Amino acid sequence: MAVDKNQRILVVDDFQTMRRIIINLLRQLGFTNVCEAPDGKIALERVRSEKIDLIVSDWNMPNMTGMEFLQEVRKDDAIKHIPFIMVTAEGKKENVIAAVHAGVSNYIVKPFNAATLKEKLVKVVGDF
Amino acid sequence: MSEDNKMDLGAQLDALDQSEEKFVPIEEVRQLTNAVRAFFQGEFSGPDLELYGELGELARFINRMKSELREFQPNMIADEKIPEASDQLDAIVQQTEKATSRIMDALERVDNVHRDVLERLMCNEPPLDPDVMAGVEDSFTEAGTALTDVYEACNFQDLTGQRIMKIIKALREIERQVLRMVIVFGLKNEESELNESDKMRLEENVDLLEGPQTGNKGMDQDEIDDILSKLL
Repeated sequence: MAVDKNQRILVVDDFQTMRRIIINLLRQLGFTNVCEAPDGKIALERVRSEKIDLIVSDWNMPNMTGMEFLQEVRKDDAIKHIPFIMVTAEGKKENVIAAVHAGVSNYIVKPFNAATLKEKLVKVVGDF
Repeated sequence: MSEDNKMDLGAQLDALDQSEEKFVPIEEVRQLTNAVRAFFQGEFSGPDLELYGELGELARFINRMKSELREFQPNMIADEKIPEASDQLDAIVQQTEKATSRIMDALERVDNVHRDVLERLMCNEPPLDPDVMAGVEDSFTEAGTALTDVYEACNFQDLTGQRIMKIIKALREIERQVLRMVIVFGLKNEESELNESDKMRLEENVDLLEGPQTGNKGMDQDEIDDILSKLL
């Protein structure tokens, strides 16, 4: 089944430039229905109040980190099914293991390119 | 103390204790004195003596630090150099972020123009020659790949930004520790011209400098300047 490229993707990062990079890379891959949030706390509010199909989130953020955000998402029955891709500059093995234990769907280490983003998206949402 | 010395002294004390003689011969007193001397020499030539030496070395190190602190003007480090370095790094983060933002603005404009032109060409009436249209689409795909390359390259800003922010954080921690050291040594310095009220305020500040400054609890720059002027 073809992947719905109109699915709503939430991009979370405290660096506005990084949000723009991810949003534009997603756009180049054909995903144009994208929204954004500057930290986990605001992102959690959005996920609880809007229909979000996929989350792409940074790890290190003020107010609520990506890991805390992921844990909150996975605790909430109404939203725990949403695929969650973690993007981080920390490629440490223990971080990856912690994220997997918390229920992350996939993990991207910065800096990354469009090909890596596509590869991880395919693993999470299916081929496109 | 060696085991031989211990046994020697122990044996002589036992012999003395058990002796029923009213007077102890001078030779035995001499032997006992030598055994006691050996005991104490042994006592202070063991690990304790090493520890004592270490403590002396530590005291000399602290004294040396105190005079070096005065010579190297830690107020310059805590008050000028570190904040100046932090400000410079802050400026780099802001400038690169601003530059990256301008690049992204331009890229998005080019991207939008591409999409707009392609859509117009595809909806053109009468339709364009299919071969021509295929060539146009190939060109737009190639241009799109180049745009993606530039978006990817913009990744640098996030990484450099985050790493520089870490360095700024480390510098501020060093600044806090240097300031704390200045206060601690200043409070112990009997030659300082601090009155009781100054000392109480400084002791409060040492507590504040125990951890990272949060909210309004930390000292402001004027207070820091005031402390440094009194201590150095």
